[in-house]
Amino acid sequence: MTDPTLLWPILLILAAASIAAVAGLPALNRRLSITQLSWILALAPLSAAVLLVLRVPQANDGTVFTWQWTWLPALNLNLGLYVDSLSLLFGLLVTIIGTLVVVYAGQYFKGDQSAWRFLTYLLLFMASMLGIVMAGDVLTLFIFWEGTSILSFLLVAYKYQYEEARNGAFRALFITGGGGIALLAGLLFVSYAAGSTEFATILSSGDVLRSHDFYLVMLGLVAFGAFTKSAQWPAHIWLPGAMSAPTPASAYLHSATMVKAGIYLMARMNPALGFTDAWFWLLTIFGGITMLAGAYLGLKQHDLKGLLAYSTISQLGVLMMLIGQDVPEAYKALVIGVIAHAFYKSALFLVAGIVDHETGTRDLRRLGGLRKVMPYTFAAGTLAALSMAGLPPMFGFLAKETLLVTVTNMPPVVAGVIRWSTVLAGSLMLAQAGLFIWETFMGQTKDPDVHGHEAPWPMWLAPMIPAGLSLVLSILPGPKEEASFLAAAAQAAYGTKVKVSTVLFHGLTVEFLLSLVAISLGFGLFVFRHRVRAWQTAVLPDMSFNKLYVWVLAAIDWASEWATRLQQGRLRPYLLIMLSATAVLVFAFSWRTFSVVSLGSWPGLNLDDELDLLRLFALLVVVGASLMSVILVRDFNAILAFGAAGLSMGLLFALEPAPDVALVQIVVDILSVVILVLALTRLPRRQRRKAQEVAVILRYSRWSILRDTAVAGAVGLLVTLITLTALTDRPRESVVTPYFAANAKTLTGATDIVGAIVVDFRALDTLLEITVFGMAGLGIYTLLRHAAQKHGDNRAVEDGEGTAVSDRQATYGISGMRTSAFVRVPAFVSLPLSLMLAATHMMYGHNQPGDGFTAGVVISLAVALWYVVFGYEETRRRLPWLRATSFVAAGVLLAVITGSVAALITGNFLGNVDFTAGWAFMPNGFHISTSFLFEVSICLAVLGGAARMLNSLGHPEGRDRD
Amino acid sequence: MAHLVLLPILIPLVGAMIGLLVRERRPLQTAWTLGTMLTSLASSLWLLWAVWQTGQPVVFHSGGWLAPFGIVLVGDLLSALFVVMTQLVMATGIIYALGSQDKVVTYPTFFPLFLTLATGLTGAMLTGDLFNLYVFAELLVISGTVLTAVSDDKYGTEAAYKYFYISLLASFFMLLSIGSLYISYGTLNMADLAVRVAADGSRPLLLPGIAFLMAAFMVKSAVFPFHFWQPDFHTAAPTAVSAMLSSVVVKLGVYGFLRMTTLLFVEQSPQIRAVLLALGVIGVVFGGLSALGTHNVKRMLAYSTLAQVGFILVGIGWGTPLSLAAAIVFAFNHSLIKAAMLMLAGYIASRASVKSAAFAVVTGVGRPLPAAGVLFFLGSLALAGIPPTNGFVSKALLFTSGIDAQGMWPLFLIGLASIFTLMYTIRAFQRIWWQAPAEGISTKSTGDQLIAPVILLALILALGVWAEPLVAVAQAAGTALGDPAIYIHAVLGG
Repeated sequence: MTDPTLLWPILLILAAASIAAVAGLPALNRRLSITQLSWILALAPLSAAVLLVLRVPQANDGTVFTWQWTWLPALNLNLGLYVDSLSLLFGLLVTIIGTLVVVYAGQYFKGDQSAWRFLTYLLLFMASMLGIVMAGDVLTLFIFWEGTSILSFLLVAYKYQYEEARNGAFRALFITGGGGIALLAGLLFVSYAAGSTEFATILSSGDVLRSHDFYLVMLGLVAFGAFTKSAQWPAHIWLPGAMSAPTPASAYLHSATMVKAGIYLMARMNPALGFTDAWFWLLTIFGGITMLAGAYLGLKQHDLKGLLAYSTISQLGVLMMLIGQDVPEAYKALVIGVIAHAFYKSALFLVAGIVDHETGTRDLRRLGGLRKVMPYTFAAGTLAALSMAGLPPMFGFLAKETLLVTVTNMPPVVAGVIRWSTVLAGSLMLAQAGLFIWETFMGQTKDPDVHGHEAPWPMWLAPMIPAGLSLVLSILPGPKEEASFLAAAAQAAYGTKVKVSTVLFHGLTVEFLLSLVAISLGFGLFVFRHRVRAWQTAVLPDMSFNKLYVWVLAAIDWASEWATRLQQGRLRPYLLIMLSATAVLVFAFSWRTFSVVSLGSWPGLNLDDELDLLRLFALLVVVGASLMSVILVRDFNAILAFGAAGLSMGLLFALEPAPDVALVQIVVDILSVVILVLALTRLPRRQRRKAQEVAVILRYSRWSILRDTAVAGAVGLLVTLITLTALTDRPRESVVTPYFAANAKTLTGATDIVGAIVVDFRALDTLLEITVFGMAGLGIYTLLRHAAQKHGDNRAVEDGEGTAVSDRQATYGISGMRTSAFVRVPAFVSLPLSLMLAATHMMYGHNQPGDGFTAGVVISLAVALWYVVFGYEETRRRLPWLRATSFVAAGVLLAVITGSVAALITGNFLGNVDFTAGWAFMPNGFHISTSFLFEVSICLAVLGGAARMLNSLGHPEGRDRD
Repeated sequence: MAHLVLLPILIPLVGAMIGLLVRERRPLQTAWTLGTMLTSLASSLWLLWAVWQTGQPVVFHSGGWLAPFGIVLVGDLLSALFVVMTQLVMATGIIYALGSQDKVVTYPTFFPLFLTLATGLTGAMLTGDLFNLYVFAELLVISGTVLTAVSDDKYGTEAAYKYFYISLLASFFMLLSIGSLYISYGTLNMADLAVRVAADGSRPLLLPGIAFLMAAFMVKSAVFPFHFWQPDFHTAAPTAVSAMLSSVVVKLGVYGFLRMTTLLFVEQSPQIRAVLLALGVIGVVFGGLSALGTHNVKRMLAYSTLAQVGFILVGIGWGTPLSLAAAIVFAFNHSLIKAAMLMLAGYIASRASVKSAAFAVVTGVGRPLPAAGVLFFLGSLALAGIPPTNGFVSKALLFTSGIDAQGMWPLFLIGLASIFTLMYTIRAFQRIWWQAPAEGISTKSTGDQLIAPVILLALILALGVWAEPLVAVAQAAGTALGDPAIYIHAVLGG
């Protein structure tokens, strides 16, 4: 039974919203006034209302209209609509009052052509609100729920130029948004427990939910969401702040509709979550407190809208309390109360808006005597106020009567408290209604500067209609249909049949007497209103629960500042924390493992063996040189120590024996030292000396050194433990090594396993490594040019002389001095020699130590020598073919092309192909194979990367181009 | 067919190199770079489609050497989806760079480095070999470092230095871990390792190896307390780059944790998950608070990444198929959202009178720029998980999976902390677009272009309304992760 026509009301309103947005286009905006636009737009909610009314008769018979769309088939989640009498009741309020508000807004914003924005938000809100009350599952409900929060935020901050509006909007969003998160969790919980997100299922699985282990969690979360939205104490504080919204929005969102969303939700969920003690207490207590707090605070307001906001809060408390009661009368009171409040409160808001619009103030202390100049507004306001006061024959009277019936039928535990609270709240409400009318329209104006005149007819008609309905609904025709509609709606919320009659007078009952008490008390309060208000201000001047919000926010801000203060941007504490965290993590994971390692089984050391002695020596050099590289203050010395450490590592490798690794280690070590030294020469002497002085002067406190030592020691200990374990507990041969050893020769033609691994078995690694190397070189180049550019930009301003010096430096060798022939000749010779050496490395990389990588590094070392000896200019002039960046690109591309050719031949990217297999005239052991080409590409890329670094570092200004 | 998994790696790599060759001709280089990235994106979509259609991972044995002897690249649903995410966002990053006023994008090496960044990230997610992952990660680090070091922002070099230093530390951890595992099990192939670890979990170096690998991935994903480099780094990077770093690059660690808990160390995963859960929750709270406390939009968004990664870790920490799917969806959606938000922050900074994203400078700058305001507002909603954006889908899925996994305390805490997201994004929005600018602050008439964030926002809304494709893939991926045999079988055969 899925009925897509159910979507029409929402779609119509969305269509109107898009029209309003389109009306913001300059071309249209010039031709269509806001008032005209509003007339057109109002047709949408009007037709939506008609569409909804048409469904009322069927809904009264218990029909539920549904529509479904499979949103996430993967998770079996549907979005859908579920419309019964309760939905229709709220839906009609949304659309009928919506129509009036749109028309009213057209008058309110007359002449303000930017108000299309307001109308767009308003209509989008209307669609969301309609979506909430028609939602068929918790997800749909939540989606629209958040929509209303967001649009309320935008509407409250509509006049965003004012700080008050921004803050009010933020507060409303903070509170309702927080509630939204809880609600989402709560609703998902409910669906998890009920096994479906759909209301049809959830509403019928009340017994499962109520007996669920997490029932209280679900209830708490859902109620939290509803309470924040419906402004229940103490979350109510956002509502008065939201009054900075334009009045049409306040009338619509913050009295008639949005704040009722929480009421709707709780009424909707009652069959699923209600009828428990927890439900009763939760709703009764919060509803009761809200009712009293709102009524009390409302009386002391001076602002028309503020007064209305607090009385709204009070009324919302009443409604929430009613939902908590497990008696049919409560639900009768609920539906009547919802309608009564929606009508009179929206009318009063609209009246307040007219007053504000026509006189320029909403302050009760300045207004007065407007009845003569604004007769129609006065009439509408009075009707609505009578209903708010709960006086016969208004609909509000009926609402109060049914409420009193409920509270007289409550369980005895709380009956007394609630009964008299309700009476008190009712009387306060009456006093406020009187205050509103009397201070605005009666008497004489208190401020001679305040002048008013009647609003245009569509504007006063807007409040007149709901105000009139407050009267008509209670006395005029068809009480039967009306009653049966309300009964059906109440039944939908309550679950079982609820009898509703709209007869005003039932005879001399307890409720009637209570009503009389409330009215008399109210009149008393009204008559002595000035004294009461003065007393309120004197006794509890600051009573507002705003402090709570301020404190929460201050606490969050304090915590956030504390959090950011922990992160000051200094590397030392960062490293400290990260290393400690790692140590803790590793120890926590593996303390058991380490304890089983027998530390007694040190690897044996045979001092009679010369090789072992040599190893020990190399090891000591590594440790000593590393320490020196940290301790030595002069940068140059530190670099040399670093180089010594690297070379001894190479020695260790060579003794292993691992000649391939040793060779790579040694050439790389030399290259790094050369690059570091070149980099040093680029630093101004002054800066270097300063850095050294700082290193000497900077003394850390003893405690912090101890702390750092402890952390460094802990991490060092970990690594030591791991190394020891690795040595003593080497469990088995590698899985892959035997395979490599067995197959290198047969499958790749390599006698050197390392060579086979580098260019065949793990060629992909190599391809990436040369990319990394090349990109590192390019990175240094980019960085130096960037620095030079910034530096140059600064210096260009300071003086224009600087470049002349550096040009001279660039032309010649070391420090601009010409080097002697004894140095120049070896440099000349070294390059071709290195090229030849490199060629053999590439050709026989497969069979002996050395490969494309060492080839590239060897050539680079020769080039480095040139830079040192000849200087930048001459080197670049003599080596025009050394186009570093292109070499990097060419190297990597050659590797990729080689791999692709192999893919074409063997079907495998980076596969092994020997192009010269079987050729007789090839030199011994040399093949033109993919492996060889790969070696060449490695060499190219490495040379390119290294030359890139050397070129950039060689130029004194870092302005190298190629 | 197996070569399909190679394309998303090879195309940007080759594109970067050719980009280097044509570096002197900027129009050609930019067009070439964009074309490369789009082609690569198409190839990764193709890969995802192929995996989705066949239901089988696509495995490429490099050089034809069978696992575990050679290097394998494995495109299963998880890695293919993450690669699509990466390349999609990186394509928009290039589009942003094309319309950017930054000086750095005119450097001849900028676009090649951008492409090698993509190569490194893509490769690290596709490889089935631990050491190969390390090498790809190095390519990522070196590219990211340089791109940030040369930023127009004056703190770029310092931030890049910190990042590089800490990344070296992470590399060291990763090498220690790889060494420990290799010594214990004699293999680098992830599938093979998984089989051997499952067969014998008593090797003494297994647990230290796991812990060091976790530390390395935590640095990669900037997980509390390994995140310290991240806010500086992401703030100082050029906008086009920082939008990548804070969205897709931080997902590498997330990807790593997914693999660790569902493939490599299934037996040991309860411990790993417990750590992830705890650190994730702390990250959510701490990141949210830090984002609230900063005075710079880009930095705020960087801290927000710390929090959002926390959400993802919580999903991985719960470890049910549904929560893994939620984590995957969250990761994907967050990438789009965070990239869009950072681009918008950069856009605003480019319009400020001083080029900076500090609130002191950008307050009120947005007033004449309503289009960017709409985009930023929608992005804020997405970040805070409010419908109709994809952020809502992420959050709803994560919460659902948390309820399903009975993870009450983490759920409660991350729920509580998610209000921070709403607070800091809305505050930033109000400051930039609503508040009046300070004396002497005006909005420049030109700046970066909005095309890239518009594309991303369109995707954010589209994936919010029509979430099915992403959720279906993620759900299938989550289910597949529950059965490591699928991956292992595809790689090792038999």
